[in-house]
Amino acid sequence: MKTIMTAAAALAAAFWLGGCTEIAQEPGKSYAGKEDAKPYAGDQFKGDKAKWEVALAERSQKQDDYRPHSAADKK
Amino acid sequence: MARMKFICDAERCIECNGCVTACKSEHEVPWGVNRRRLVTVNDGKPGERSISVACMHCTDAPCMAVCPVDCFYKTEEGVVLHDKDLCVGCGYCFYACPFGAPQFPQAGAFGLRGKMDKCTFCAGGPEENASAEEYRKYGRNRLAEGKLPACAEMCSTKALLAGDAEVLTKIYKTRVVTRGKGDEIWGWSMAYGGSGMLADQPGGKA
Repeated sequence: MKTIMTAAAALAAAFWLGGCTEIAQEPGKSYAGKEDAKPYAGDQFKGDKAKWEVALAERSQKQDDYRPHSAADKK
Repeated sequence: MARMKFICDAERCIECNGCVTACKSEHEVPWGVNRRRLVTVNDGKPGERSISVACMHCTDAPCMAVCPVDCFYKTEEGVVLHDKDLCVGCGYCFYACPFGAPQFPQAGAFGLRGKMDKCTFCAGGPEENASAEEYRKYGRNRLAEGKLPACAEMCSTKALLAGDAEVLTKIYKTRVVTRGKGDEIWGWSMAYGGSGMLADQPGGKA
C-alpha cells in the first residue's frame, strides 16, 4: 500500500512540476505565401538599407511639432 | 530598423476622418471595405474622445496564429502583411483580431466573402515593389518610397502618428510632458476617467 502511495505521489509530483515547463510562445508557423521584396529594394534606394532608414527617420521626425524647425523645413 | 507602429493621441483627434479618407484615396479601397476607421466614445457629451483604428501590426499577431492557410507574414520592420493569393476568406482572422482590422469585400450575392483586406502600413504586399499588381491587390507601397503611411502624414492635428516605435515614444512623451498632466499621464483616470484613487476603481477597497 505504501509503495502504491509513494508511486502515486511521485507521479502527481511529476505532473505538477511538468506544469512549470515553459512552452514556446511563438506560433512556430511558417509563411506559405510568396516572398516579399524589401522596401529598400526598389529603384529609389537600390538596396541601400541605411539610406532608406535615414529617409524614413527624417520623415518620422516631421511628425513632431515640438521639435525646433530647421531652415530647410521653412522652404 | 525597429518596430513600425501606429499611435493615436486621443487628446488631439478631432474626428475629421481625414485619415480614413486618405487611406481610401491612396489605395483606392473598394466600397464596403474600411482599412481605417474612427471610434468615438461619449459622442456629443463632455469628455468626448475619438481615436483612429486600423491594423495595429501586433508584435504577437493573433491573426497570424489562427490563419489556416498561413498567408500572414511579418516584415523586418514589424509590419504584418498577408498574401491575397493564398487567402481563402475564411474570416478566422477577423474573429481573432481585437481591433476588427481584417475586412472582407462582398464577393457576390448571399454575403459571400472575398479575400481579406487590411491596413498594410502602406507597405504593399508580396508582389514586386511599386508594380501594378501590388497596387491592385494591396494598394500603394509608400514605405518603398521612403514615406510613412498616408493616414498619419495626412493627419492635420498630428493625432495619428506612424513610424518606428522608439521615435513615436519620444514624440508622444514630449507632448505629454509639455501638456503638463503630471501624475495623470498614465493610469486609470486617464484611461477611464474618475478620480484615479484606488478606492474608486472596480474591486478597490476603501
